[in-house]
Amino acid sequence: MNHLTEEQFEDIMQGLLPEPEHLTDCDLCRELLAEKKAIANRMRSAFDSVKPDKRLANNIRMQLTDKAVSEQPQSARRLSNIRFKRMAWPAAAAAVLVMAVILGVYVISPSSAMAARAELVKIHNHNLSTDHEHEFYSEADPVKLAEYFKSKLGFSPSMPITDQGMALRGCCVRHFRGQVVGSYVVDTPQGIMSVIVVTDKPETLGMGGKFECQGRVFWKSSFAKCDMVTVRLGDYSYCAVGEISHEYLTELLSRLMPDTHQ
Amino acid sequence: MYRAAVAMCGDRDDADDLTQATFLKAFERFESFEKGTNCKAWLLSILRNKWIDLMRHRNTVGQILQIDENIVAGQEQNDEIKYSNCEDLLANFSDEQIIKALRSLPAEQRFPLFLVDVEQLSHEDVAEIMDMPIGTVKSRTSRARAILRTKLFSHAKEMGFTGGER
Ligand SMILES: [Zn+2]
Repeated sequence: MNHLTEEQFEDIMQGLLPEPEHLTDCDLCRELLAEKKAIANRMRSAFDSVKPDKRLANNIRMQLTDKAVSEQPQSARRLSNIRFKRMAWPAAAAAVLVMAVILGVYVISPSSAMAARAELVKIHNHNLSTDHEHEFYSEADPVKLAEYFKSKLGFSPSMPITDQGMALRGCCVRHFRGQVVGSYVVDTPQGIMSVIVVTDKPETLGMGGKFECQGRVFWKSSFAKCDMVTVRLGDYSYCAVGEISHEYLTELLSRLMPDTHQ
Repeated sequence: MYRAAVAMCGDRDDADDLTQATFLKAFERFESFEKGTNCKAWLLSILRNKWIDLMRHRNTVGQILQIDENIVAGQEQNDEIKYSNCEDLLANFSDEQIIKALRSLPAEQRFPLFLVDVEQLSHEDVAEIMDMPIGTVKSRTSRARAILRTKLFSHAKEMGFTGGER
């Protein structure tokens, strides 16, 4: 009796070959096949428990967003010191989209409109980053944060009254579209939010949906896993960014007073 | 992708680095990806190359890539342990022990085995990722599984695991 060959076993395992009659007659080959299948199944189940650290996905997301941002055309970025790299912007955007789908962490529209939103999310990610490469002023006292902003930006942006489980975490001065902008971070019951204060009008930030709430006009959008809502107060646009619902971000921005710039 | 990195690397930190390096490389090389082809296979081949780079960096790739097929065949024959209920026996092992046993195989065997048995890729895809003929994929997979079996069964014997020993 000729036993099954290694190749036949492999083809049967892959479902390329129907189980031959030999298997009904030969205990040895039948047991061998059962053993191979059992090992394959056990390995598969062993790897089911292997899950990447949340931090890893976050790091990769940050790095890809960094790359996507640095590889967009200069016209969109208005930064003269960023070299235009090898890859064309649409290809870079498409690459982020593909990576995103594989990582399962991104929801991205591959258009140039995402440039500003990508930068906003990047600022938010940097605010959350625990490495101290990025200068972050950890402080919960709004008075001290206001002083910090005033020294760095010449003005202090409006900050929400923090109650109901909300607390200020700190602030940072970052670059957005080649300009120095301020951002602060708020811990909320629904997650961590960055508020980034820019001079650009909401219409130019690639924000999609314009809507009204309590007599004020807001713009909402999304990038990567983050939702964002923008409101215009005086000469500044306040962009709230986080893995938080649009409704909640809107509610938080509604607490900002239009005349509190100092 | 992360699972593949874990299968290839000795520890989780290396697996993190490898996953990260793979995605960044894939991003850079995105233009070389042919639409309509298997994206997972494309990424896995980048991962494999990145892993080789990593090992080369540590000057160990030569040792790892050299497989003595005779040793493999020998190990296969040395083992006479038989269990009538393999499934029950394997259930005694923790996930970590199973992965550790897989990791102890030579890289050029464990990766095809991982791709075929865990990722359930076709022999054709694995041949492309590993840059080797389909026949070699089949024989490597089969032998790798046989060595793994030997390792697991002898460990089971040491530990006194039961699974219908006869
Ligand atoms: Zn037989």
